[in-house]
Amino acid sequence: MLKQLTRSALEHLLQQTAADYRLQVPQRLADGTRQLAPYGSGELSLFGETPQRKPTSAFFPQTEPLLKIDSTGAVQLPAAAEKPLALFGLDAHDLHGIAFIDRFFSAAPADDVYLRQRTNALLIGLTGAAGPDQSFLPLSAGNCDIELIASNDHWLAVAYSETGEQLLEPFPDGDNDRLRALREETSSYRAIRPDSLQKASELLLHDRVPDDFWEAIAARCILCSGCNLACPTCTCFCLQDRQRADGTERSRVWDSCQLDAFMREASGHNPLGSEALRTRRRIHHKLAADPQRWGELGCVACGRCDRACPTGIGIFAVAEEIVKRYEKG
Amino acid sequence: MNATLTTCPYCGTGCNFYLQSDVNGRLSGVEPAGKHPTSRGQLCIKGWNAHAFVDHPDRLTAPQLRRNGQLQITDWNSALDLLHDKLSGIAAQYGPDSLMFLSSAKVSNEENYLLMKLARAGYGTNNIDHCARLCHSSTVTGLVETLGSGAMTNSLSCFDETGLIFVIGSNTTEQHPLIGSRILNAVQRGARLIVADSRKIRLARHADLHLRQQNGSDVALLNGMMRQILQDGQEDTEFISQRTENFAALRQGVEKFTPEYVAQITGLPPEQIVSAARLFAQARRAMIVYAMGITQHSHGVDNVRAISNLALLTGNLGRPGTGVNPLRGQNNVQGACDMGALPDVYTGYQRVADPAARQKFSTAWGVQLPETPGLMATHAIEAAAAGQVRGMLILGENPMLSEANQGLVRKALERLDFLAVIDIFPTETTDLAELILPAACYAEKDGTFTSTERRVQRGRKALESPGAARPDWQILCALLQRCGLPAEYADPAEIMTETATLTPSYGGISYPRLEGMGLQWPCPDAEHPGTPILHREQFTRGKGRFSPVDYRPSAELPDADYPFLLNTGRTYFHWHTGSMTRRSHLLDREERQAFVEIHPADAKKHRIKERQQVKISSRRGTIAAAAQLTDRVPAGQVFIPFHFAEGAANALTNNALDPESGIPEFKVCAVRIEPC
Ligand code: SF4
Ligand code: SF4
Repeated sequence: MLKQLTRSALEHLLQQTAADYRLQVPQRLADGTRQLAPYGSGELSLFGETPQRKPTSAFFPQTEPLLKIDSTGAVQLPAAAEKPLALFGLDAHDLHGIAFIDRFFSAAPADDVYLRQRTNALLIGLTGAAGPDQSFLPLSAGNCDIELIASNDHWLAVAYSETGEQLLEPFPDGDNDRLRALREETSSYRAIRPDSLQKASELLLHDRVPDDFWEAIAARCILCSGCNLACPTCTCFCLQDRQRADGTERSRVWDSCQLDAFMREASGHNPLGSEALRTRRRIHHKLAADPQRWGELGCVACGRCDRACPTGIGIFAVAEEIVKRYEKG
Repeated sequence: MNATLTTCPYCGTGCNFYLQSDVNGRLSGVEPAGKHPTSRGQLCIKGWNAHAFVDHPDRLTAPQLRRNGQLQITDWNSALDLLHDKLSGIAAQYGPDSLMFLSSAKVSNEENYLLMKLARAGYGTNNIDHCARLCHSSTVTGLVETLGSGAMTNSLSCFDETGLIFVIGSNTTEQHPLIGSRILNAVQRGARLIVADSRKIRLARHADLHLRQQNGSDVALLNGMMRQILQDGQEDTEFISQRTENFAALRQGVEKFTPEYVAQITGLPPEQIVSAARLFAQARRAMIVYAMGITQHSHGVDNVRAISNLALLTGNLGRPGTGVNPLRGQNNVQGACDMGALPDVYTGYQRVADPAARQKFSTAWGVQLPETPGLMATHAIEAAAAGQVRGMLILGENPMLSEANQGLVRKALERLDFLAVIDIFPTETTDLAELILPAACYAEKDGTFTSTERRVQRGRKALESPGAARPDWQILCALLQRCGLPAEYADPAEIMTETATLTPSYGGISYPRLEGMGLQWPCPDAEHPGTPILHREQFTRGKGRFSPVDYRPSAELPDADYPFLLNTGRTYFHWHTGSMTRRSHLLDREERQAFVEIHPADAKKHRIKERQQVKISSRRGTIAAAAQLTDRVPAGQVFIPFHFAEGAANALTNNALDPESGIPEFKVCAVRIEPC
């Protein structure tokens, strides 16, 4: 289904969505950061850089209560949310990131805590002339319910699910030729991932990156954990138990493989006891282990870890360095 | 998912982030502020976990009174009445100077202002101080004398423009991580780096030169570098003649510090001293960065003077990419000093001893004010132990773990007639209090904090405080009212308005102007854009003053009975006395227990194995900690962080004080080590 929306029709769609969902939309916050925030809590920001906080945090938050055990031993689950989530403003990278962890959390044994938030949630992509200064953002792979494609003064709206179709039903049809042109622009625009990632992945898979490379890179790691916490495809967490008057509350908390205690054993021994080993692992996981397991890179090229890393060793930077140093010729 | 922009509660770097809250209003995480000039979308591990302690079950949620050794819950009115009755009773019987007020570098500017007003105008004493006494009091004394202002001269953005960074006594990547990362980035783009630190800190791996001078020998090292610079004719003669005074005395003062003489004191090879001097002097723009390794000595002020002399000698002041850059520790230690939570000054460093300043505050507050400067925190502990200070109100500090010589601190606090503590968690200090008042934490109130680069910025409320806990400013207003002083501030913004009228350097600061990225003081009026770099045209005091210093050894050096030098400090994952970080799951998990770093050669000699519990004793106490065998410390030195109550480094440290700044010698004392 292809529809076309004016600015006021877009507002109408959002209003309608907000009636049945906890709708999150991009807003520009006080310091200029762009972030998804509850619809109606601030001014809508329809174009700009990728919202800073990874959208996967909506389904897999940094700290998330899992259950409570009271003094009788009875287990209570957190109350279910009244309405499912709807996320608006996702670009192709972010949709890809959500799809990546959907697959991970749904693989057996499925993660029911994740699915509790994710099932029935609505994803609305925002692509086309929606980048900084209305620059072009490549179209999505259709991994959403609705994709809104900004074009001149209106939005083309494509439904990719039944819910999407229902929501778009009332709006007038869109121009198929225009959509085709935008899709062409997308394919000629650029690959969704920079070449260096793929090349670095091959070098890693062929074991062409020596240990001293990791020593040099990791000497700059200040163990902030930002690269992991900012990454939409990072899914590691640890458990936190807190004893309260009415029982023990168990939550899960984002973890980071750059940290020493991530793998430290109770004896104190650590199979990944140096920053070099851990940095190697982080990059290996995304560029070598993920392709082996899932058939694709674990990096969706959103750029968040390169921005979050205070010392310039996010995945693009490291991949480029690998290619520069170890690619033949 | 709501996002509230606020300032990090940990270090003085001043990162901003968004606290994320979930549908139930509970904090669910942290996101760095993407466009803020300090954080730029980045945080350190503490910042990324700054939400984690907020809803910890240990939070204090009701006023509590100790009766017959038992804590009983009481209501706010009775608690505040009791607090006021006790303090005013002690003041009436023994004089106002038998009271001591300890403020906090963790609470806002507004709250520091109110507590210093309460001490001075409410109870009539200048006995107010805070933990800056333990960290940068040497800086304030030393830099006011030489430059006229005790703050970091330059801005964090200067790291992006400098040619050389000289880091002395600062483990920057661990203690000011987002400043440490700027230093690493500067090195990547080609800036030179000199690190002077006895420990092999991370920055040392990236340094052109790593000087591992003996702890406490910094004056000799700096004088030696200056002598060499003069010898080589590398001093900035134009800067010296136009902008400084007392140069002849400096030349004479450093004369005897030949490389060989300095080598004897510092333990460095003489050539290293010469290389350091040459490398430093060749840079057209050099920044000196320092922290506790310089200040926490019985000659801390002299260390600071020597640093200031080096910057003056080479003309590295008043320009981008230069400066004397003390890195302030706590997120609001700069602000607590600016607000006059110090015994000798009101806000903006206006001196209590100056009759005009006293008159100004007296008129504004409508009461007579005491004339004599009050007690420093460290002296107040001594006075309490001697029975001269009898009542104490502590706001958000834990001296039982943070002050030197825990045995003395315990004796002092136990001897008080009355101790009240306002805090967010039970601590080793609340354990000794008669009255404990529960406070809102940073995420539960509005206010302003001033970062190390003098940037005044907003903290914002993201959620309600637990139980009956209240923001400190409301608690202090209630006490001001009990003292008969008007305190009907509707919100912290109104307190800032009052502060600004009384404080020239904050004159142009108001809440609306702080939206976005804050303002760097001095900001004297409503149109002033703030001041990223101090001393541009002239020094705050007019001319920069050379203040030559001689080397004095530390008070207690290793000997046959106590053969190791004990160095104390902090680690990356924990914050000070651990009350917040040890209650943050990830941070606690990284470092769970007290440890002592010991060189493998020393460990071998004393038959100590990795992770073995060892007993460490000084003349003042004994603790146990797990051995960590590492060449990060030089042989002959051990290092213990002071975060851990169960292995409290400050049970060992020496309360030998700097005669001028009153700072204890945290970085040098003598200990012995035995297997447990
Ligand atoms: S973001 Fe950079 S500094 Fe931080 S943990 Fe990752 S690699 Fe290390
Ligand atoms: S560097 Fe300091 S201010 Fe920044 S996040 Fe870390 S502790 Fe907070």
